[in-house]
Formats: sequence, C-alpha cells, structure tokens
Amino acid sequence: MSNSHLLLLSGFPRAPLQNGIGRYVPQLKRMTIKFCKSSGDSKGTREFIESKLVDFAKENPGTVVYVKPRRHRAPCVQAEYLNGEEHHISLHNMSLEETTKWINLLPMRSGRPTNLRLRKYWHTDSPSIQGVWSPFTNRDPALNLAQFPMEEFSKRKNLTKTATEIILERWQEQKEKDSTAPVQEKTTS
Amino acid sequence: MRNIFERVKQWNTLTRIWHLYDAKWQDPFDSAKVIQKYLKGLHKPIYHPLADCGDHVVVINCKEIAMRGDEWRKRAYFHHTGYAGGGTYTLAWELHDKNPLMIMKKAVYRSMKGNLQRRYTMERLHLYAEENVPQDIIENISSVIPQLRDVPMRLDRMPEDQVKGYPKIWDLPKDYVVR
Amino acid sequence: MVFTTVAQFVRANINKIKGPDEFWRKRRIFRLTAHFIGRKRNCYSLAIRGAHRALQYATKGRHLKKKDMKDLWLQRVSAGSEEHGVPFPVLQKGLIRSDVLLSQKTLSELATWEPRTFKALTQLAWTKGVEDGFNRIETLGEPPKNVVTRGMLTKEVYLSDDETKK
Repeated sequence: MSNSHLLLLSGFPRAPLQNGIGRYVPQLKRMTIKFCKSSGDSKGTREFIESKLVDFAKENPGTVVYVKPRRHRAPCVQAEYLNGEEHHISLHNMSLEETTKWINLLPMRSGRPTNLRLRKYWHTDSPSIQGVWSPFTNRDPALNLAQFPMEEFSKRKNLTKTATEIILERWQEQKEKDSTAPVQEKTTS
Repeated sequence: MRNIFERVKQWNTLTRIWHLYDAKWQDPFDSAKVIQKYLKGLHKPIYHPLADCGDHVVVINCKEIAMRGDEWRKRAYFHHTGYAGGGTYTLAWELHDKNPLMIMKKAVYRSMKGNLQRRYTMERLHLYAEENVPQDIIENISSVIPQLRDVPMRLDRMPEDQVKGYPKIWDLPKDYVVR
Repeated sequence: MVFTTVAQFVRANINKIKGPDEFWRKRRIFRLTAHFIGRKRNCYSLAIRGAHRALQYATKGRHLKKKDMKDLWLQRVSAGSEEHGVPFPVLQKGLIRSDVLLSQKTLSELATWEPRTFKALTQLAWTKGVEDGFNRIETLGEPPKNVVTRGMLTKEVYLSDDETKK
C-alpha cells in the first residue's frame, strides 16, 4: 500500500491528438541516450548506438538525438516532447532487441504523461443539451426593464388570505346581500 | 473559436448577481437567514462550498426594521474594548439610535458559521439606512429578494375614505373611555 | 524441528520475532508518509504516529465523503426547486408518487446541466401535490397549468358522468 496517487500528476481523460489527419507533426522533440562505455549493463545500449542509431536518426528527422557517455552508471533514455513532458526509460541490462523496441516506442508516443491520476473517468464535449444553468435561465423577464428600488417586486407573494382580507371580503358579501334586501348601513368611522 | 463561446458560457453561469432586499418592517434575524443564503450562493444549483459563487445583496431601509415583542428593550449587544473593565452592554434601541445599520449587520454576521470565509462573504453585503442608494450601486442591481412579511399599513398614513369605509367589527362598551 | 539452544531457535525464527528487516519495515511506513510535511515525513517515530492517525482519518473520511456529497446534492436540488417555487419535500414526495424515481445526484445534475427538464420535474411534482392534497400545498400559489396527469383525466370522466345523470 502506498499513497503514491497523492504525488502523481492529476488530469482529465481526453481524446488522443488528431495528429496525422492533416499534416503529421512528430511529437518527440529531443532524445538523450545515456550509457557507459565500459560496463556490462550498457552492452545492449552500446550495440544499439553502433548499429542502429544513425538509421533511427535518419528515420526521425524531427527529433534531435543526443548520446551522452558517462562512467559506470546505468544506461537510460530520456525523451522530451513538444508539450513539455519528459519520459524516462531505464535500459539497464537490456539486450539489443529490447533496447531497440523501447527506443522505437518513444517517437510513437504523443507525450501525454503515462501515469496520470484521473479526476474523472469520463469526458464529454457536450455536457449540456439545453444549456447550462445560469442566473438568467429562470429569471422573471419583467426584471429586465425594472427600475430599482421597486416596491412591487419586494412584496411577499400573498398566497394565503390575511385576517384583514377575510373580513373585507365578508363585508363585501354582506353588503351585496344587504343591497338586495334594504337594511340600515353599518359603517362607522 | 469553440473555446471563446465556452468561456463566455462559463462567465454567464458564474456571474455575480446583485440582489435588493427591502428591510422595511422585517425581522432582522429572520431576514439574515435569507440574506446569508444569497451571499453564500446557496440559492444556486451550481453551489459548491469551495467555489466562489456568492452574490451581492443590497439591503435598504435598515432603519425601519422591526423586532418582535419587547426585543428593542430587552436585547443587549455586548462589546469589549480589550482593556480591563472595557465591557459594555448596549440595548438594541440604543444601538439602533447610534448606528441604524449595526443590528442588521450583526444579525447577518451571526447567522453564518465562524469560518475564514465569513469576513469575505460579509463584504458582499451592502447596507443602507434609507432608500437612497448611491447610483454606482443601484445600477448593478438586477434582482429582488421578496420580503418575508407584509409591510403593515399605518393608520395615520391610510387614505381618509378607506378608514371611514372600513367595516365596524364590534361595538365598544358604553363605559369605554376613548382617548 | 528441534532446537538444542535458545540461540539456534532465535536464529531460525528471527523473522517471526523481530519482524521483517528493519529497513523494509520502515520503508512500508515511509511510503505512506511520503506526502507529509516536516519531520513527520522522514523521522520514523513521528512518521508512524502520523501514518496511524492518517489511516484513522482515512477511515472516517470514507464515510464523511459520502455524507458530504449527499448534503451537497440536497443543497443543490433544493436550491434548484426553490427557484421554481417548490420546496424540496414537495418535489421529493411528488416525484416519488409520480413514479419518477431519480436519485438526488441525478436531480442535482439535471438542475445544473438540463435546467428545462428540471423545471418540468418540479411542475410535475407540484401538480401531483395539488392532486393528492399535500399539506399546505395551496400556500405555494397558482399551480402550473401545463401538466396533464392521469388523475385529471379520471376526474373529468366522473364529472361528465354526473352531468349525464342530471
């Protein structure tokens, strides 16, 4: 068990580059092969440099290849991509065939980090069909032309009748009833 | 091209709206519960505690707030200067006389949890004692928070004929002294 | 196995007594504390305390995360429904009675991403509430007129029956 996911780079899933549909842009910008001239663990790497490196460089004219000998250290290859990412592969104790396979993998990559902590497991280009909610989606259009402050909008929606309203209503009913049968007025100041 | 529109859509969703609230005859403590919702953005379906989605609220007529029962006389506001013997209790009516915005401000402040965000949320609250709001504030306002209760009509401001036309509900006893 | 001396027994069972090699045992803990700040990251005696505490927090956090998300969805859905003048309990009850069994997560996503659908759902719940006579439903005001429910249809039929009898 480890908490390595906390130290990983995080990101979102996305569709691979549409590279090559029109013009193909090689994404591998720079490649550095580091090896030792004498130690045995660099044997495969040395053979690769002797026999295949020139062909590799000719096949990938968009890539700069550096070769860096250093004494008694394990061989590795470091690749830098157009998007600024760096990939690092150890070539320790590898045979010529293995080394060739790993190095030929590098120009085929897009340079996206291979080890990414995904924050979401899905991606969509159209998250909303009807349009995302905004404060204006469900707004009363009357507010667009209103001049503030305006008492009319401030008023609470009167949804149940108040006691005063009930009294006035009954009074009105009574008056209507009285108007059919003449009875004395009951108003006072 | 596509990204330009996406960006504008995002601005549209996360726009800050300025709301108006008329505190006339409103209970400051009940109002505070409503106002803090708008200040924090709790009234939006996009709410997230870490997202900065709160709105501005302009409260007018803070001078004319109403309190229940005899709270004007009984509610005390405590302040301590920090020096020995520096504590003072101010009654609500005294505080209101000194600063008509203070009761509303404290009510909203206390209605929110005491976290680091509270001070920043309070900055989005704009209080005014009367209806006169500076032009640069009023032109931002585009929405109204409805009041919590009806503003009662005062008898001395009622039209004469309405008072006279009001039905008599009961007869006063004969020995009742009208002052 | 027979051990003639204690030393032999210890030698044979060194891993059982002492645990695995010290370096690897500590390394297991340091992997858990690699992202900590300060001496808790690299000093073993502090790191192991921190790791134990972190694991306790993680256990609690697993439940809290679910609860927090539920609270957030509830907040969002009620904010969305109150925008249309329907309190959340009415929405919930109305939808369940209309056999619209959407979770709160789905509802909250609809409220943000598909606001028209969400509005239709609130109106449906409101109409159902009026039809079933939810408590104090009349205080919400005028119910929406654009929703047709099965209950309405049956009511119409009964009315026309009465009229024919007359």
